[in-house]
Amino acid sequence: MKPPDDSSKDHLDFVVDSEIRLRDIVFRTDLTPFFEACLSAGACGAAVMDEHGSMLKAKGSIQDTDKTAAERQKRALYYEGEQVGTLCLDFPCGTDQAAGIADLAAACMQILIPSTAKRLLATALHTSVVNLSYAEVLDANVKLQESEKKYRELAEELEQKVLERTSQLKTAHARMLQQEKMASIGQLAAGVAHEINNPLGYITSNLNTFDGYMQRIREMFGRCRDFELMDEDALNLYRSLKIDFILDDAPDLIRQSRDGAERVRKIVANLKGFSHIDDAVQDYVDINEEIDRTISVLEHEGRDKAVFIKHYGQLPKYLCNPGLLCQVFLNIIQNALQATELPVQIMISTSENSGVISVNIEDDGPGIPEAVISRIFEPFFTTREVGKGTGLGLSIAYDIIKNHGGEITVRSVAGEGSCFMIRLPAQEQVHV
Amino acid sequence: MIEYDEQDRRMTLKIVYYGPAMSGKTTNLLRLHDLISREGRGELMVLDTKDDRTIYFDLLPFFLVAPDGLKIKVKVFTVPGQVCHDATRKAVLARADGVAFIADSRTSEAANNAESFENLEKNIAFVGIDIDKLPLVVQFNKRDLQDIVSDEEIGRAWSTAGIPVFKASALDGRGVLETFRSLLEKVYASLDCRYKLAEDHRLTQEMFIGAIIKVNDEAA
Repeated sequence: MKPPDDSSKDHLDFVVDSEIRLRDIVFRTDLTPFFEACLSAGACGAAVMDEHGSMLKAKGSIQDTDKTAAERQKRALYYEGEQVGTLCLDFPCGTDQAAGIADLAAACMQILIPSTAKRLLATALHTSVVNLSYAEVLDANVKLQESEKKYRELAEELEQKVLERTSQLKTAHARMLQQEKMASIGQLAAGVAHEINNPLGYITSNLNTFDGYMQRIREMFGRCRDFELMDEDALNLYRSLKIDFILDDAPDLIRQSRDGAERVRKIVANLKGFSHIDDAVQDYVDINEEIDRTISVLEHEGRDKAVFIKHYGQLPKYLCNPGLLCQVFLNIIQNALQATELPVQIMISTSENSGVISVNIEDDGPGIPEAVISRIFEPFFTTREVGKGTGLGLSIAYDIIKNHGGEITVRSVAGEGSCFMIRLPAQEQVHV
Repeated sequence: MIEYDEQDRRMTLKIVYYGPAMSGKTTNLLRLHDLISREGRGELMVLDTKDDRTIYFDLLPFFLVAPDGLKIKVKVFTVPGQVCHDATRKAVLARADGVAFIADSRTSEAANNAESFENLEKNIAFVGIDIDKLPLVVQFNKRDLQDIVSDEEIGRAWSTAGIPVFKASALDGRGVLETFRSLLEKVYASLDCRYKLAEDHRLTQEMFIGAIIKVNDEAA
C-alpha cells in the first residue's frame, strides 16, 4: 500500500497496484520447510537471491561467491513476466539428479510466488475496500446526523410555530367575541336610544309648550292679583293653595325638567355615538371628542368617585374606526375605576407633535405591581377573581392601537398610580 | 497516474477493463492471455471468484524493457461489474492510465451499459482523474449473439464522442486484440507526451506495442 498522498476528502487514498517484490514474498513466507526439503533431497545449501544478486534467505552451507568445490544449480525466478531473482542450490560434487532437484525446487517457487502475491493483493484490496467503505460510512453518518439535526430543529420550530399560531388564533377569537359583544351592545344601545328619542322629542316639545302656557297663566294671575278682584274666600284659597309659590316655582320645575330632558338627549346621543352603530367604517374624528364621549358613557359608573381632569391639546382630525378607539379609552379608564373602591382622579392629556398624536391617561390609583406589569397586555391575563374580568380589556386595547400602527406603553408606581401612554403615528392630513 | 521510479528506472502502467456485470471483461483477459505469446507477459492472475463472477479483480501483467534499459510493467486489471462492488471498482480504478469499457451488445443490456458508464465517469472523478485526458476505448462485446444493438445504432451513438469503438466477440477472440492495441496506442501517446518515451528512451510506439502484443503463433 502506498502512503496516502495529499489526500483530500473526495479523493481516493487506497490503491492496490503497488509493486510486490520478491523480497516481500520471501519475508512473508516461511521458506524453512522448503529449504529443509531441498537439503534432505541432497543439496548442501539453498538460497534465494533478489534481482541484484543480494541474498534474501539461505539455509545450509552456501557461499556468496561461486564455490568450485560444489556444484551450483541456479534457476531464474519470474514474477509478472519479469525475472525477479534467482534460486541457488549447492550440491556436493557428483550428486545425481542435481539438475532435476533444482528444477523441482524452482517449480515450487514459481507456484509459491504468485500464490503469495495473490494473497497479498487480495489483502491489500480488501483493506482498501474496507477503509473506503468505512470512510463512506463515516461520511454518510455525518451527513445523516446533520440532516437529523436539521429535522429536529425543524420539528422544534414547528412546535413553536404551532404554539404561536394557536395563541394568535385564541386571541383573535377572543377579540372577535368581544367585538361581537360590543357590537350587540351597541345595537341594543342604538335601538334603545332610538326608542327613547321619540318620547323624548314630545316631552321636550310639550315642556316648551307648557312653559309658554305657564307664562301666560302667571301673567293672568298677576293681573288678577294686582286688581285685588278676589273675595276673602278666594284669597284664602289662593293662599292655602300657595299659588304664588307655584307660580314662582313652576318655571324652575320646567327648566329643571328641560335640563333633565336635555341630559337624557345628550346621553342618548353619546350612547349612539359611542356604539357608532351608524358609522362602523373609518372616519375622520376629533380624538378629544371621542374621549369626552367615552367619559360620558362611563360617568354613570364612577360619577361619584371619579374626577376627570382634562388637558386637551389641539389635535388634527384622525382617520380611524372611532368605535374601536373609544373602546381603547373605555377599557383603560374602566380599569382605573375598577382598580379601587376609593375616589380616583383621572387626568387625561392629549397633544400633537409633527402629526404624532399622544394621549396620556393617568390615575392616582393603587398602581400595577411590578411582578405583573410586563404581563398586563397579555390576553387572558387578569388580576381579578374568576368571572369578574375577562383579561381581555388591555389586550384588546393593545391590539387596536397596534393595528393603527401606534404603540401603547405603561408606567406605574405601586401606591402612586399608573399612566398609560398611547402614541398614534402621523397621518397624511385631509381637510374635511 | 503512472508510477515512475526514476532511480530504479522502472515504470508501472495500469490499464483497467471496466463495464457492467457479465459483459465479458474477464473473458477479454483470458483471450489476451491465450492470444499473446508467453514471452514478455506474466501469468493471468484470477483472484478468488464466486460462481465464476469476479469479486476482487483479474490481473494480466506484461513486462518490457526499453532500448535504454527502462523497465516498463503494464498491468491489465478487470473490475467486478456487479453494482454492489463499487468500493472495489474505485480501488482498482485509482491511478489508472487507460480504460477499456466493455459493453454488452444485447439490446436487453442497454440500461446496464449506460448505468455502468455513468458509474465509470463518477468513479473516475472520485479517484481524481481527468476523464478528458484519460485514454479510453469502448468495446461492444458479444457480437456473436442474436438480438443485439445494430452497427448503425452504435455508430449513431458513438461517432461524435471521439472515442474508438470496437465490436468484439471475446468468446472466440474476435476484436479482443484490436481493442487492446487501440488502447495501448492511446496510452503510449499520453505517456510519450509526458515522459518523451521515443526521444529519451528510444522506445517507439511500434516497439512498445510490439513488445506487449506478440501474437502467439499457435493461437493465430
